[in-house]
Amino acid sequence: MSHMTNPLATPEQLFQRRSFGALPLELQDAIFFAAQCLTQAAGILLQLPQSITAQANVLLARYWLVEPLMAHEFSDVSAAAMYLTAKLSASPRSPRDVCNVYAYLVSPASTFFHPLHQPLAAAAAENNPPKYCLSESQYQSFHARLLAIEARVFYALSFNTHVALPHPLAVTYLQALDFLNMPKETIAKRALAYLNAAVLSPQMLYCTSQPNALAVAAIYNAARDVGAKMPECEWWEVFDVDREELGFLVVGMRSIEGWGRKIRGEEEPIKGWKGKGMLTRRMVQEELRRRGIEEVGEEGDDVEADMARRLDERMAELEGGS
Amino acid sequence: MDGKRHPNSFQQLEKLGEGTYATVFKGRNRQTGDLVALKEIHLDSEEGTPSTAIREISLMKELKHENIVALHDVIHTENKLMLVFEYMDGDLKKYMDTHGDRGALKPIVIKSFMYQLLKGIDFCHKNRVLHRDLKPQNLLINSKGQLKLGDFGLARAFGIPVNTFSNEVVTLWYRAPDVLLGSRTYNTSIDIWSAGCIMAEMFSGRPLFPGTTNEDQIIRIFRIMGTPTERTWPGLSQFPEYKTTWQMYATQPLSTILPQIDPLGIDLLQRMLQLRPELRITAADALNHQWFHDIIAAQKHHPQHHQVPQPMMHPHGGYQQPVPSQGNYGGY
Repeated sequence: MSHMTNPLATPEQLFQRRSFGALPLELQDAIFFAAQCLTQAAGILLQLPQSITAQANVLLARYWLVEPLMAHEFSDVSAAAMYLTAKLSASPRSPRDVCNVYAYLVSPASTFFHPLHQPLAAAAAENNPPKYCLSESQYQSFHARLLAIEARVFYALSFNTHVALPHPLAVTYLQALDFLNMPKETIAKRALAYLNAAVLSPQMLYCTSQPNALAVAAIYNAARDVGAKMPECEWWEVFDVDREELGFLVVGMRSIEGWGRKIRGEEEPIKGWKGKGMLTRRMVQEELRRRGIEEVGEEGDDVEADMARRLDERMAELEGGS
Repeated sequence: MDGKRHPNSFQQLEKLGEGTYATVFKGRNRQTGDLVALKEIHLDSEEGTPSTAIREISLMKELKHENIVALHDVIHTENKLMLVFEYMDGDLKKYMDTHGDRGALKPIVIKSFMYQLLKGIDFCHKNRVLHRDLKPQNLLINSKGQLKLGDFGLARAFGIPVNTFSNEVVTLWYRAPDVLLGSRTYNTSIDIWSAGCIMAEMFSGRPLFPGTTNEDQIIRIFRIMGTPTERTWPGLSQFPEYKTTWQMYATQPLSTILPQIDPLGIDLLQRMLQLRPELRITAADALNHQWFHDIIAAQKHHPQHHQVPQPMMHPHGGYQQPVPSQGNYGGY
């Protein structure tokens, strides 16, 4: 059993993402980034350790290498990845908890992907529980989607749910390097920050590189940031990483922050997303229409399913209100 | 394992066993006519796919060995999960009941079974997997006299459940003393203890330590192996279940309790049934024990029967703890 390594994306899988008929790349990247950020936010609200949340991020990325992005609502896929990862861990979370957290995060009441510039008092006034409290039938509908997508994920991953994270390796490597003569905490924190940011990268770094390479690249970047003196030799080779892969990962990790700011800021791959919270399939579909791109094929049935779901929820609201 | 096969690709025959999480049926592949064992996992309407099933699948997919029951396929439908295993004729418990003389097997059969059992255990341990629930019901036997380990990981993630289930469901009889004393840091040696208990049972036809409760199980072990003390087992008093009120039993020679076993066999058994886990023999060393020399020699004489040990699939093993079974699914 490979406990220290991960299954990686095949060249075909990576090519598929770029192929004809796929969503425009910048939309794919925006969806991936938004869903990974949402997963991280949910992990925090579910009070899960980062070791579990990061595994959910990796499983989500692996799933999307196999199944089309538009097959399910993005927040539902994130919720299923989070739910099943927690279930397999020592800290399982109930479907109800997962539902509550996601309902809150995708509601306008949450601060997730919403601008923070409004004064806190106004924000508090906005914090209106009915906006994110689901009715029983809305919950049932969410629960059914959660379990259905969970089964899809297991199937897509062929039950290979093991994720080896680079975080413990990074700490071990830092110990071996004597923390490059820096205060332990400063450099270790920086290295882990790079690793945590890397799960958000649309380059899917966790699906293209093994944990040892990710750990070394994070240490390299952290050392540069804090001005630590690295060994003059090719020290990464000790950890089985070659210069080329290290170079790729170093650049990949350093670019995430700027890229993330751009995509949330001026560049806006999807018009009208800014300040609107979690990206949804509807926003992506509208964007495609705006660009005059035919809707991507595979969702035909799903649009119907989606309408049925909306209708169900609408009915539930009406019933609840009467 | 493409997962695309339809449940109807298999004809369901009689039921082989049933538990809380799963039901096992005998089945036949409609295309090839091959017999299989179908383990149907009930999907929980609240929780979805049981974590235990997911663990078992991910584990069994990797553990491919001639002494471990093979998982051929996983069929996932909307409301159930079906694992397709290679078919085995029965388990060791049934085999002893039907082929044994009041349960006791012939020494030559026992030696072959023990060798195969230890080979399966050794393979698990080399792949950093603890079976944690070895018992005659989980060892499957086919008509060719092959023995394979079955029922991996149908239970919870951490710790072996103690006292939670009735005797019939989770048996204590094969549980290592360090586990009974509440150890949470047990390792591969717990499977060796179970193997020792199974060896004794094959010779006598009766379980060696048929305890009824955790406490009773401990006492039964001490009555034969002797009550340990802080002097014979440093750190003993630190165990959660340590009692100062234990009656002090002297160690009984295993050769008087099990006179059927030859001296070399007793020597191996003694090395497996060490109270202190760190003194227990490893599976790899047990396979090289002198008791097996005639089997090894016979294999050298008949190279066509020589079973080539499988290479380890992933040398960079980390640590994975599978989980014990809570039910009797006919060994799967």
